[in-house]
Amino acid sequence: MSLLRYTLRRFAQAIPVLIGIVTITFFLANQIPGDPVEIMLGPTPAQEQVEAIRAQYGLDRPIHVRYFTYLSGVATGDLGLSIYYDRPVLEMILLRLPVTLLLMLSAFAFAVVTAIPLGVISAKRRNEPADHVSRIVSLIGVSTPSFWIGLVLIIVFAFYLGWFPARGLVLPWADPADVRGAATRVEVLRQAVHHLFLPMIALGTLQMAQITRIERSSMVDSLQGEYVKLARAYGVPESTIVRKHAFQVAQLPVITIIGLGLSTALGGAVLTETVFEIQGMGRLIITAINNQDYQLIMGTTLVFGFVYVIGVIVTDITYSYLDPRVTYGED
Amino acid sequence: MSINSATSDDDTPDDGDESGGGPDEVEARVGLRYTLKQVKQDTTARIGTYIVGFMTFVAVFAAFDYYVLDYAIAEAVLYNPETDPQNVRRLLPPVGMENQFGQGVLEHPLGTDHRGRDLLSRTIYGTRIAMTVGFLATAIGLGGGTVIGAVSGYYGGWIDDVLQRVTETIYAIPFLVLVIAFMTAFGRDLTFAMIGVGITAIPVFNRLIRSRVVSIREEDYVEAARAAGVKDRNIIFRHIIPNSFAPVLVQATLQVGVSILIVAGLSFLGFGAQPPTPSWGQMLSASRGYMLPAPTFSIFPGIAILITVIGFNILGDGLQDALDPRINN
Repeated sequence: MSLLRYTLRRFAQAIPVLIGIVTITFFLANQIPGDPVEIMLGPTPAQEQVEAIRAQYGLDRPIHVRYFTYLSGVATGDLGLSIYYDRPVLEMILLRLPVTLLLMLSAFAFAVVTAIPLGVISAKRRNEPADHVSRIVSLIGVSTPSFWIGLVLIIVFAFYLGWFPARGLVLPWADPADVRGAATRVEVLRQAVHHLFLPMIALGTLQMAQITRIERSSMVDSLQGEYVKLARAYGVPESTIVRKHAFQVAQLPVITIIGLGLSTALGGAVLTETVFEIQGMGRLIITAINNQDYQLIMGTTLVFGFVYVIGVIVTDITYSYLDPRVTYGED
Repeated sequence: MSINSATSDDDTPDDGDESGGGPDEVEARVGLRYTLKQVKQDTTARIGTYIVGFMTFVAVFAAFDYYVLDYAIAEAVLYNPETDPQNVRRLLPPVGMENQFGQGVLEHPLGTDHRGRDLLSRTIYGTRIAMTVGFLATAIGLGGGTVIGAVSGYYGGWIDDVLQRVTETIYAIPFLVLVIAFMTAFGRDLTFAMIGVGITAIPVFNRLIRSRVVSIREEDYVEAARAAGVKDRNIIFRHIIPNSFAPVLVQATLQVGVSILIVAGLSFLGFGAQPPTPSWGQMLSASRGYMLPAPTFSIFPGIAILITVIGFNILGDGLQDALDPRINN
């Protein structure tokens, strides 16, 4: 019950931040040079046509009125109309968001699955060759631009070895009829994994490196804890100590770093989607910008913000669920 | 939103050396001289210093040649990194390699790009943009974050609340997306890339400085200064900020590397340094169209970014170890 209440309170606390995101986005979008109506109708449109469009998109009203209209629109799920696509912004976002979320989740899954063993081995064999290798790998990982990793992966694994496709993404829940060369659900899944593999590594490497670094230092601390000394004194086997006693406690900072990594990963998704020509949220925002589709720019920017805020709340809740010391702020 | 800072140790005990061994060690454990001494003793920090020093030297040289000599040195020794050459040899591979456009030649050790420009020259002169942006963006973040964090932490109350809510909101938009939106609104060139990346770094330094200020505010010497009638502003800038030197230096060093990565990403997307100015991100962006016939085009700018950022990361890590009073060498 208290966890539920904590969850609700965490979401309530996020409301001012969400309003702040809408505000920043709105005023940035209003700074964008160029007249959106002119872009729609060409350089010399008829006057009444311009006014009709202005009225249709609410551009004839003063800025504070538009701000509150937009804010109440966001609250009811109305993000306006995309001028470029001539469809509701929300519809476009709902079409693209699953692609980006799939990419992000797989990248984090890859990062966690590789980083935790690396970090644990590193901490267990501190200053031995295995530790040095793992530290060098993670140092390179945090220092390499994700889009360059993408380019190198494409050159080596798509062009040179031909193991994976160089572009695009297949959604695992796509209708087999829509996927080229796939007659069955299994075929679709196989293609989805095949397409996802390289972008997942490109986007996940930075997270992998960061998690490895935190996992290592956190495990080093944890292995020096009093409870570990006690367990050793009782003659508990070292492997059990590492697996049970030290490991669980060491995971809390890792959850924090995953939450922080979301921001980098969402930005990285824009780059990864560009490199692999994946039609997700990242490409959507770039298309919106290149076509000065300001409603779509606002919508995509604030959805990026919302996804991040929700992600941080989820990691906070996971943290409090796993940490027995957190009491959800009661007594 | 309460997220702990990733790299900072907010509650580093500064007074742990009272009983610490050694005969009469009264040396101050803060300040520039102490930092330099510690860095000299730490191998990783030293390697980091060499890389950063080398890259800074190359960047200063490139800037001098560009602003003062208008690429005279580049033309005498290598090639002009900006203008298209006359007898064009496009997309040559590095020396000793071969691709469909021909054999690598010694005049272009790393090969040429899609317009026949020398890749070695462009990679070297790209250092200027990366380092300038890295340092200036960090300086903007550091300056803004220090002022906001110090004011917020020192005064507390509603000032603190307002400032912290605003920076939290900035932090709540993924920073690459925020910078892209910012640049769309104000301008797509390098100046706005720098300012944009700087703004995204403000919350990081704000959080660091604020937590230091909150803990130092109650220290005896600050109380004493206040009792003696020293102005608030002087207490903040003369006492509190210098005492936060070590963690800020570590964070700033790491932030330069992060800024270089973000700006490279921005240039890759077409925001930032505009052609023909040589910049690593933009070179990689151009190379995308030729990955199949000339794969080596994509390699070297990335390696340049990698080495530079590694330099800042190991310098930052080394500084952290060297300046952490809990680690005794």
